[in-house]
Amino acid sequence: MMPPVSYATGACKVFSLDYANMLESAPLFARAALTTLKISTAGIALALIIGLACAFLLYLRIPLAGRPVRAYIELSRNTPLLVQLFLLHFGLKVDAMPCSVAALAFLGGGYMAEALRGGLEAVERAQIESALSLGLSRWQTLCFVILPQALIVAVPALGANVIFLLKETSVVSVVAVTDIVAVAKDLISLYYETTEALIMLVLVYLVLLLPICLAIRHLERRVKHVAFGN
Amino acid sequence: MKASRLVTLFAATVAASLFSGAAPAADDSLAAIKARGVVKIAVFSDKPPFGYVDKFGKNQGYDVYFARRFARELLGDENKIEFVLVEPAARVDVLESGRVDIVLANFTVTPERAKRVDFAKPYFKTAIGVVSNDNTPIAREGDLQGKKLIVIRGTTADVYFSKIKGIELVKYDQIGDAFQALRDGRGVGLAQDTTLVLAWANENKGFSVKLGDVGNVDPIAPAVRKGNTELRDWINDTLVKLGKERFAHAAYDATLKPYYGGDTNPDDLVVEGGEF
Repeated sequence: MMPPVSYATGACKVFSLDYANMLESAPLFARAALTTLKISTAGIALALIIGLACAFLLYLRIPLAGRPVRAYIELSRNTPLLVQLFLLHFGLKVDAMPCSVAALAFLGGGYMAEALRGGLEAVERAQIESALSLGLSRWQTLCFVILPQALIVAVPALGANVIFLLKETSVVSVVAVTDIVAVAKDLISLYYETTEALIMLVLVYLVLLLPICLAIRHLERRVKHVAFGN
Repeated sequence: MKASRLVTLFAATVAASLFSGAAPAADDSLAAIKARGVVKIAVFSDKPPFGYVDKFGKNQGYDVYFARRFARELLGDENKIEFVLVEPAARVDVLESGRVDIVLANFTVTPERAKRVDFAKPYFKTAIGVVSNDNTPIAREGDLQGKKLIVIRGTTADVYFSKIKGIELVKYDQIGDAFQALRDGRGVGLAQDTTLVLAWANENKGFSVKLGDVGNVDPIAPAVRKGNTELRDWINDTLVKLGKERFAHAAYDATLKPYYGGDTNPDDLVVEGGEF
C-alpha cells in the first residue's frame, strides 16, 4: 500500500511563517526602532549643520577654508560608514551611541555640503551685489536672499540624503548598538527565526521610511509652488 | 515510463547492495585492535592545547596525552597509535566509516551526537566562563546584575545570559571585536566557553577568570562507534583506574597549565575517574 503523499507540504513550508513569533518580537523591534530614530535624527541634524557650514565656506570663497573643506567632503564621502564606525569605536574609543551619531554626522556632512553647495551655486552671484547695494548686510543677504532660494533648489537632494542616511544606520550594530538590525540578528542566532526576523526587519524599515519619504515628496511639491507659483 | 522506472528500481537495488557490501565488518573490537597491534585514534591537528601537531611534527595536547596512555594500557606501548587528524565536523564520520577506533578530540557530549556514537565516561568538562578586569572582578553571577556584559552573538553564553534579567548584554558579531571591547572597558566582563576565556586571560595581563562554571557544565568524553560497547566499557574501566593516580591532573599540568596559567583551578576543567 502506498502511503498518501501530501504534495502541498513542501510548497507551503516556504510561507508557513510563525506569525505568533513575529508579533511577539514587535515590541523588541519597536524599542530598537527608537534607537535607530534617535541616531538618525541626531546624526542627520548634525550633518545638516556641518553641511551648511561647509557649503557657505565654499560658496563665499573664504580664504584658506576651501582646501580643508573640500578634503573633508572627499574623505567623508569616499569612506564607508562601517569603517568610520570601527575607527571611532575601536580606534578612538568613543562609546557606541555617540560614536554612531558622530560617524553618521561625519558621513552625512559631506553629502549635505555637496547638496547645499549645488543649491547655492544655482543662485546668481549678481544677487549678492544687488542685495548689498540695497543696504542689506552680508548676513542678511545670505540668510534672507540667497539661502531660501538655495534651499528650494536643494530640497530633492537633501531629502534623498535624509533617506540614505537613515538606511545607513543599519550597520551600527557592529559597535554593539541595539538597533533594529541587531534585534533581527539576535532572533536569528538565538531562536533560528531567520525568515520571520528578516521579514520583520523589512517591514520596520518600511514603516520608518515611508512616512519620511512621503513627507519629503510633499515638501518638494510645496517648495516648487513657492518658487514657481501655481 | 514504466521501463525507466524499472531501470531506476534496478539501479537503486544494485547501489544499495553495493553500499551495504562496501561497509566493512567492524574491525574495532578489542581482540582485533590487539591483533592489529596499533590503535587508531582521531585527534585534532590545530586546536592547542587539546590536540595539535607541534613544530617537530609530534602530536601534542591534553587529548593526545590520554590517547598515548590508552595505547600503553591496551597494547603495552604508548607509541602503538595511529593518529588520524580530524576536523570537528568529521568526528562522527570517522567512527561510522571505521577509520578510527576512538575519537579523542574535545568531543562535547550532546544528545544529538549520542544518537550516532557511543560516549565513554568524561575526562574533561566545559562551561561558560566570565573573564573580567582585575579592578572590577566578577566572581559570582550576582555580580553581573545591573552591569554590562560582553558576549559574542549566537554563542552558548549569549543564549544563556539572554534569559537572565537585569544584565545588559553588549553583543558583537566577531570574537576579536568582543575581546577588544573588553579591553576598552565596554563591559565589566566577557562571557564565553571557559577554556577560551582562560587561555585569553592568561595572555592578557590585568584580566582573569574568577567565574568559570556558569550555566550547564558539559561533559567532554572519548567516543567509539555506535554499538562498540566492549571498547567503551574498556575505556570506562581504564578511566576509573587512571582516576586513582589522578591522571587527568597530571595531563592538565603537562598540557593545559602552560596555557591557562597557575591561577586556574584544574578542578574546574578536568574530570578524574570519569566521575562527572
